[in-house]
Amino acid sequence: MKRALVLASEALAVQEVPVGCVFTHNGHIVAESRNSVNITHNPTRHAEMNCIDFLLDYCKKNNINYENYFKDVNVFVTVEPCIMCSAALNNLKVKEVVYGCANDRFGGNTVLNVSDFYEHNYILSGNVLADEAMTLLKLFYKGTNPNAPDSKVKKKTST
Amino acid sequence: MTETEPPMKKFKHLDDSSTEIFEKYIQKIDSNKNLRAVLSDDFDQPLKLIKVFVGHIKDVKDISRTILKLNEKIPLKELQHLKRVRRKDVILCPINFFNNTLSIQDFIESSVPELKDIFEFFKQAEVPLNPPKIDRHYQEAKRIWSCNFHPNKYLDKLVGDEFFPLCELRTHRMYMKVAFEVAKWYTINKKIDSINLLINLNTTIVVDPKLQSIVALSFDNRQEHPMQHSTMLAIDNVAKTQNGGAWPSNQDKDYIGIPEEILPYLKETFPSLKFYRNDFILESKSGTEKEDRIYAPYLCTGYYVYMLREPCVMCSMALVHARAKRVFFCIDNKKCGALKSKTKLQMITSLNHHFEVFTGFI
Repeated sequence: MKRALVLASEALAVQEVPVGCVFTHNGHIVAESRNSVNITHNPTRHAEMNCIDFLLDYCKKNNINYENYFKDVNVFVTVEPCIMCSAALNNLKVKEVVYGCANDRFGGNTVLNVSDFYEHNYILSGNVLADEAMTLLKLFYKGTNPNAPDSKVKKKTST
Repeated sequence: MTETEPPMKKFKHLDDSSTEIFEKYIQKIDSNKNLRAVLSDDFDQPLKLIKVFVGHIKDVKDISRTILKLNEKIPLKELQHLKRVRRKDVILCPINFFNNTLSIQDFIESSVPELKDIFEFFKQAEVPLNPPKIDRHYQEAKRIWSCNFHPNKYLDKLVGDEFFPLCELRTHRMYMKVAFEVAKWYTINKKIDSINLLINLNTTIVVDPKLQSIVALSFDNRQEHPMQHSTMLAIDNVAKTQNGGAWPSNQDKDYIGIPEEILPYLKETFPSLKFYRNDFILESKSGTEKEDRIYAPYLCTGYYVYMLREPCVMCSMALVHARAKRVFFCIDNKKCGALKSKTKLQMITSLNHHFEVFTGFI
């Protein structure tokens, strides 16, 4: 989670929503990323999605069955995954998700319990270094999102 | 010879039936029946009621004095939409308002002693719990108890059967036909089983309704890449029209949001269809940087999204993140659809963006 927080700070430095994420496989870090929504103009490029894509690519290149691979993946992310990312992680049947602070705006558990819609559910736990994660978000939202339209009033967290 | 013949036949058969099923859908879509908005569940459910204590006034002359006193001492905070009085009956409070060891008589005597001799008798009654949002609810509610109603013309139209005028309806139905034509093309050219497509895959068309042109479109690639549902690809293709994008692809040179392979077919099938060209982006780059910010599109803001099937949870939330304005789909996704079948993401008030959802194409 400490590594994920470093990645989140990197996102903040380049004016992206500061969320960082690390995937481990059997205890080893196999993917790490941060939000890249503003640079790609794609609102779905959350840290988790970037890690997922990296690993899918890795599996493909190395002829690994991704379905088997993701069963042993643990996810560490600084902010509770949003509804979209929660659904994606359920789809891929990852083993466990640990998050920093809750996401009361988009959270895939707090706002809508995504696990209700999937047979497979990962183990979910939160509140790991939550204050640090929240501090980064607050720093970001103190400034303005350079890509958002001028008139919109910015509100709280986004993954 | 016998070894090669049966599969050939089988394949030919499959090919025929696959286009046939899309032709059937396209024919059905080509009607003038209006579309249905997917709305919150309260619109279909029976009116919710709440039990209240009611006092029957002895003398009509006491009514206005009683109401004033009650509003002062026992205001009905949650039931502001109701008139306090109906003929000689006055709403006192919800039945769970005070400790139930007291009788309503005792409660009135202790909290509003001035009114202790006003009422002839007390009774319980059921009254509408929520303010009526649409005319139909108002008509139903006022039969039960007099209430206030602030008509919302837009909402009343949305729940009705005539939301879209005919010319708009034809446009929506045309874009849905495009979605099916795209699916048909991929079935034939990428040899995808049509039944599998209709159950598991999807097609997404993103339209700028102001310019009446297709900004981006995509066909599902989840069989190769489990994240590349057509919605996710379409959002990335829109990003490409805004000088972004994350996934590599073979988009057309002139029309960045459209896969190169499908463009000639669509131009031939729909000669009147307009596609969003890159030079539009270049033209909009004139003027000062501040002007660019105003004219440059932001994500899918203002865009309409047309899909074969109701999107799943991941894709529906992606469309919220992308700030699509309206989402149209043809086939319900009973297994994991998140706009109608399993849940209605567009109705979650705490999300920061809400689009309208329409279906009822067939």
